[in-house]
Amino acid sequence: MEPGNGGFVRAPRTVGAGVFMVLIGLFALYHSWGLTTGTTRQIGPGMIPQSLSVLLAICGVLLIVEGFVTRGEKLEAWKIRGPLFILGAVVIFGLAIKPLGLLLAAPLAMGIGGLASSETRPREIAIFAVVMTVFCLGLFKYALSLPIPLAPWLIGY
Amino acid sequence: MIELIDNLGTGFSTALSLQNLGLCFLGVLIGTVIGVLPGVGPIATIAMLLPLTFKLDPTGALIMLAGIYYGAQYGGSTSAILVNIPGEATAVVTTLDGHQMARQGRAGIALGVAALGSFFAGSVATLVIAALAVPLTKLALLFGPADYFSLMVLGLAFAIVLARGPLLPAFCMIVVGLLLSTVGTDLETGEERLTFGMPNVVDGIDFAVLAMGIFGFAEILRNLENPEVRDVSRTAIGRMLPTREDVRRCVKPVLRGTFVGGLLGILPGNGAVLGPFASYTLEKKLSKRPKEFGSGAIEGVAGPESANNAGAQTAFIPLLTLGIPPNAVMALMVGAMTIHGIIPGPQVMTKSPDLFWGMIASMWIGNALLLIINMPLIPLWVRMLRVPYHLMFPAILIFCCIGIYSVNNSPNDVILTAFFGFFGYALYKFGFEPAPLLLGFVLGKLMEEKLRQAMVLSRGSFTTFIENPVSAGLLFLTVIVVVVAVLPSIRKSRDEVL
Repeated sequence: MEPGNGGFVRAPRTVGAGVFMVLIGLFALYHSWGLTTGTTRQIGPGMIPQSLSVLLAICGVLLIVEGFVTRGEKLEAWKIRGPLFILGAVVIFGLAIKPLGLLLAAPLAMGIGGLASSETRPREIAIFAVVMTVFCLGLFKYALSLPIPLAPWLIGY
Repeated sequence: MIELIDNLGTGFSTALSLQNLGLCFLGVLIGTVIGVLPGVGPIATIAMLLPLTFKLDPTGALIMLAGIYYGAQYGGSTSAILVNIPGEATAVVTTLDGHQMARQGRAGIALGVAALGSFFAGSVATLVIAALAVPLTKLALLFGPADYFSLMVLGLAFAIVLARGPLLPAFCMIVVGLLLSTVGTDLETGEERLTFGMPNVVDGIDFAVLAMGIFGFAEILRNLENPEVRDVSRTAIGRMLPTREDVRRCVKPVLRGTFVGGLLGILPGNGAVLGPFASYTLEKKLSKRPKEFGSGAIEGVAGPESANNAGAQTAFIPLLTLGIPPNAVMALMVGAMTIHGIIPGPQVMTKSPDLFWGMIASMWIGNALLLIINMPLIPLWVRMLRVPYHLMFPAILIFCCIGIYSVNNSPNDVILTAFFGFFGYALYKFGFEPAPLLLGFVLGKLMEEKLRQAMVLSRGSFTTFIENPVSAGLLFLTVIVVVVAVLPSIRKSRDEVL
């Protein structure tokens, strides 16, 4: 990682981190605003989340200040490929498991997930996905008898 | 003393049943595999394998999960020595001298010393746990809500101080973790907090969902971006049994490592990670030949490896006696216990002695098993290290998906995990180390509960935390820990060690 330049923002990554924390703090504060705060004697459901949100936002501000004062690292580039395909695969699995069942959801997720790496070869991942699906079927469904739908559209469960 | 032997007797008779022995074996075997493989951590694995334990009785389940944990610590050293990649974070120090030894054709000796040192340390740690369990549990029963709260504050302070990297981001992670723990129905009034209308978080965010997202999936993303070069040592492993001279050089480092690691492991707030570093620094300072360190000094493998294993095991002490998990893996064990209807804490020992002592005894058995299975299996681990990551991650991915789905049979949980995966990725990009987050999350609920109880008891006065001697002592210790960490000179040496 390269150090940041000597420009106005000396540690861009720290500033980014601070902004991120401030945003989380404000978001949580906004959404816990309506809850009863209570008193110290009878602490309400809102007091803890509200005070933690404020604390987090303050820490975020401190991080931002630190990023302007001390020298630190540059912001790292965000890759799209990895998060898109890996997390996309997870979401697809979540959406597909009930209606389509494991027999389709598992190879689908592995196929999509495989796209996340540039080293993946189509044939290899296809064979691998089939083998892994059979393995998972044996392990989770038969050996452990977990209630996972297999192929509701075909065999009804 | 007689009580101790009696208790261990109960433990061994539970742990030596055929089923538990098999589960212990399975646990340490899986643990070693994930320990050897870089890029697959124990946190993600335990979260992934939780559904495997649903069908088991709680004792068997915990014996297996514990086996995975210390098996992973053990396997981590194998890849550190052979491939120069720490399979686990705690094996970083072992790469320094261990891999150098491998390059000099002494890989077998390094592995052998690591194994024997770990076994010794593990055995001692088991005895320490057994000996400390009863007095600490009795102590814990005297704790009031204020004391508990202060103890957890101390734990979090340790977690911040011992986390890698600067203090402020680590503190932020704790706060985010605490904040996430407030999501769900309020325990007193039943009001929904920060649930955003999602039915699957009404009872709070599931620990497995959070852990799998932030550690499992974010770990895959991280590994894909930093492809590592594996230099699988082609040199022969050579003899594994250390020579008389090697043994002579290792005895004291192993003893010191066991002591240092075991002591640090007891600390709430992940002291176990510090063990290997502390031991390495200590050995280098005490050595007559400090220059040999970094170029294959056997003491530099023996000490840290013993410290690592001792710490990994004494880390169970706060969990088993006080019900407070000291690190993220122990936090997962809490999750596993709760799934099986056991609330961790001082009452476990009295209510289910079989489980308590069985688990402790299984640790010693597990260590013996590790010693026996690892020696002959090393060639297999070497071959496994050649499996490319682009074939490993789809397998991890699908195991994680099925694992998460099975915890509650909820597709929404799977999607929420993806969200936390993205959150973990963002944290990584901003340079945060997420381990303290998980600890904050786990302690958060209990802390809030104890805080509210304490405040009701004291009629809204915060002085209860200072008036109460135990609580005051713990808070005083917290202040010392924080002040010491912030002092410039100590901060510098902390940066060197971590």
